[in-house]
Amino acid sequence: MAQDIPTSMALHVHGVSKTFVTRPVLRGIDLAVPKGQAVCLCGINGAGKSTLLRIAAGLLRPDGGTVIVNGFDIRKHVEAAKRQIGVISHASMVYPELTVFENLAFAARLYGVAGRAARIEELLAGTALTSFRHDRAGILSRGLLQRLAIARALLHEPVVLLADEAFTGLDADVSERLVAIFDQFVRGGGTILMTTHDTRMGLRCCHRVVILDHGVLVLDAMKDKIDADRFADDYVSYARSMS
Amino acid sequence: MRALWLGLRAIIIKDIVVELRARQVLPTMVVLGMLIVFILRMASEPGSTAAGGTVMGVAALWIAFLFSGLLAQERSFAAEQQNGCMDGLLLAPLDAGTIYLAKLLANVIMLTIFEAIVVPIAILSFNLHVTGGWLRLAAVLLLGNLGISSVGTLFSAAVQLTRTRGSLLSIIVLVILMPMMIPATFALLVLFGTMPVETESLASLRGSGTLAFVGSFKAAIGYMLAFDAIFVVACWLLFGVVVEE
Repeated sequence: MAQDIPTSMALHVHGVSKTFVTRPVLRGIDLAVPKGQAVCLCGINGAGKSTLLRIAAGLLRPDGGTVIVNGFDIRKHVEAAKRQIGVISHASMVYPELTVFENLAFAARLYGVAGRAARIEELLAGTALTSFRHDRAGILSRGLLQRLAIARALLHEPVVLLADEAFTGLDADVSERLVAIFDQFVRGGGTILMTTHDTRMGLRCCHRVVILDHGVLVLDAMKDKIDADRFADDYVSYARSMS
Repeated sequence: MRALWLGLRAIIIKDIVVELRARQVLPTMVVLGMLIVFILRMASEPGSTAAGGTVMGVAALWIAFLFSGLLAQERSFAAEQQNGCMDGLLLAPLDAGTIYLAKLLANVIMLTIFEAIVVPIAILSFNLHVTGGWLRLAAVLLLGNLGISSVGTLFSAAVQLTRTRGSLLSIIVLVILMPMMIPATFALLVLFGTMPVETESLASLRGSGTLAFVGSFKAAIGYMLAFDAIFVVACWLLFGVVVEE
């Protein structure tokens, strides 16, 4: 059921707060991301980036606030909202005993993807995994696993892609491929909210950058309004001063 | 309904394929089960009567089902924790209850295969005679299996996600399962001919201690059915709360 949120907004986070035991991690976060926009969420370790992404994905219950994904409240219309979301994290979410194809087929069944075989073939081609389709996930390299995780996240054609440290542990070649996949996703009308410590890479993929500091958004700027190189340098200095 | 069925089928088939390839759970269960059977068989040898052997055989079976079942249930969620696969399941547009039912059925299947291996071994080891009928025996084993799996599946998920691991699970699950173990033990004693099917008279229960309250085989089945129904529904409802951080 559609909510009272502008339909151009793919992701709308409103007043989200979260406290772990006595430590507040998020303090009333507001963030609206329109369709077709990629947002880079930066912040030092413990700033609350992953917590915000987990709440947006419906994996974590916020203490307060709402998350609307493509018109669906993640707490009230759970199944409909989850169909709008794809998640990539540093954990691949694939079973090492299953082959590349079987892992995708399993995910496709969970999401009830129509035309399963054709969609899987399309994604295998898109992530250059076709020749690995019969290999068990347990023997894949980190780069190949990440490509499989991306294929899994895009399988059900989500509207919003949540990527938590998606570039971690990837070599330059695989990172470039990931940037290309993100770019293609956004050009197709998709929305990305990604966290990264690699601000240069983040800025390459994204239209907008936001910085989270101790659970508060302290900066929200469009990429074309900032000097990307200077921002990246300043961010590194800021992160060093905070750690 | 169709989404529930597709989700259930997908998770159950996945669990079975993963186990067939990893061969981690079933072999360990069988080794543990056989160890329990053989140790209790050896312990029952000196001066044992036929009735004493049957009692020990019934004890061996339920102890083996309990501990091997818990082992399987813990492993089933430990496998989901690997590579963040549990998050993958929770991200899917499925009700948390569907995930619980799928894991429960996969655990029931695993324990049924285990029972199919261990029961004949116990029957031979303890020279048990199934006087109450094989179908009744299968029904009692299935009810016991469902009870053990319903509680174990929920608590193994809780333990894996709260990272308390192992020890706490076994203690809590064993305590919760005690009310079912009494009629379950009674039912097997009846089926192996150690107790009469109807034991309404207290005189016929001399020496049966805690089992006295069960009363009859029919009542034992009734208690087990009630336990299973209550705990399957309760655990199905609670699973969403348990897996949500």
